[in-house]
Amino acid sequence: MKSFFNAIGNLFRKPVTTPFPVAPTYIPDDYRGLIVFEESLCIWCRKCEMACPPGAIVFSQDIETGKQEYHYSPYVCIYCKECVRACPAPGALMQSGEPGHPGLKEQNVNNKWNKLFNEALDSRAAYAAEKKRKQAEAKAAAAKANEDNKPKD
Amino acid sequence: MATQYEIPIGAQHISLLEPLHFKFTTENEKIIKAEANVGYVHRGIEQACCSKFKFRQVSFVVGRVCGLCSISHTTCYSQVIERMMSLDIPRKAKYLRMLVIELDRIHSHLLCLSHVAENSGFEALFMKTMAYREFSMELLEAVCGNRIQYDYSIVGGVTRDLREDVARMILERLKTFKPQLDELVDIYGNNYTLGLKNKGVGVLTKEDVYHLSAVGPFARAAGVPIDVRNETEDRLPWKEVGFEVVTENSGDVWARNMVRLRELYVSMRIIENVINGLPEGDIALDFKGFPNGEAINRVEAPRGELFYYAKGNKTQILERLKIKAPTFSNVPSMVHGFKNNEYASAPAIIGSYDPCLSCTSR
Repeated sequence: MKSFFNAIGNLFRKPVTTPFPVAPTYIPDDYRGLIVFEESLCIWCRKCEMACPPGAIVFSQDIETGKQEYHYSPYVCIYCKECVRACPAPGALMQSGEPGHPGLKEQNVNNKWNKLFNEALDSRAAYAAEKKRKQAEAKAAAAKANEDNKPKD
Repeated sequence: MATQYEIPIGAQHISLLEPLHFKFTTENEKIIKAEANVGYVHRGIEQACCSKFKFRQVSFVVGRVCGLCSISHTTCYSQVIERMMSLDIPRKAKYLRMLVIELDRIHSHLLCLSHVAENSGFEALFMKTMAYREFSMELLEAVCGNRIQYDYSIVGGVTRDLREDVARMILERLKTFKPQLDELVDIYGNNYTLGLKNKGVGVLTKEDVYHLSAVGPFARAAGVPIDVRNETEDRLPWKEVGFEVVTENSGDVWARNMVRLRELYVSMRIIENVINGLPEGDIALDFKGFPNGEAINRVEAPRGELFYYAKGNKTQILERLKIKAPTFSNVPSMVHGFKNNEYASAPAIIGSYDPCLSCTSR
């Protein structure tokens, strides 16, 4: 009987829901949002890449100069902050309060990211191979020079 | 002998939360036999944990086994690795884990209760319970930064500290929730029409619980005080924060509702005690090395006992991880509970089982 009167009374009460697009919903100050990268503070140790559970961070490397570049996919990221905890340089990686946006079909997020990820790994392998080759070349040249300089008897 | 009909329900059905398939053999509206088929949502998480992810990353993977008891899975996994590596985590981390587990229990139990009301045909109560549940989601968002996938426990501790203002907000919200919970207890306990649908329906006796090894609120509603929080003290100090077992005797849908509602009072008390007696110190432990050997661990998830087994081989990647979810233990008793009930009460009975098939089939 009580619930019957309650149900009648509910006709005249305000709804408990929030009018979402008009009024904002509750978002805490330390909401887990996108990861922000600060290039000037990074020491290029790649610890974040190793710690990231879904593989949303990858570093590619230029084959000539050896300079590394940071790549981040906000669509693969799970906002767990594991990269920030793993980072030894304070301030290089930060978690912002900005929520991630949904990926669209035109952006081709998954395939594009997988391609970029593999290319970045390949570029690092290529740089390492190039470095090894250059070192071997230098060593061979040094050995040859040594041999040339040796007095012949 | 009356004609027997076979009626399937699921794997996709309006009254089911999860992909679960039951085949009932009925005789004049009465269920005489039931068969269950689980395993529609197998995702191969155990294999992924043992091949693709490093052992520190696995705690984020197992958090995605289940949306409702995410924190139970991550805590249980973290504890199994801590047991294997003999880590003693800071006391504050233990308290914060208990806090989030209990907040999670509030939101999971209220979800289950609302679905029992909906499946019994009481839509208004469904809406009311869901409206009251919202505060726990907001509190979880304030504590963990996310409404569903908390990612709160990691191996060696927890990820975030509890801020002062958040702690105050939790205590305030719990105070406003208390009269709302009293109201829900009144409705679920004394409402006449809901009682017609819930009392004496889907009965599981004490002998059945022992015979079919049911766990969680399912078993406690039949008068068996099975609760991991009551049995283990070494990983999380439950007794210290005022835990006590809640049991009912009749073992029907109504008793399961009452067990869940009365557990919410215990959860609220635990949360208040955790916040008032939060120790000082670090929230996570730094450690080096890789897991080696074998270990098991149990945690009381909202649905019952959650069991993890892990085997390490001194590398980053685990050799084996086994997850046994509470619903997996409950499947035989779920099938048994349907017998000699009206077919029309089947949705309410399924709701009261609170099945979590995502956990069961991983």
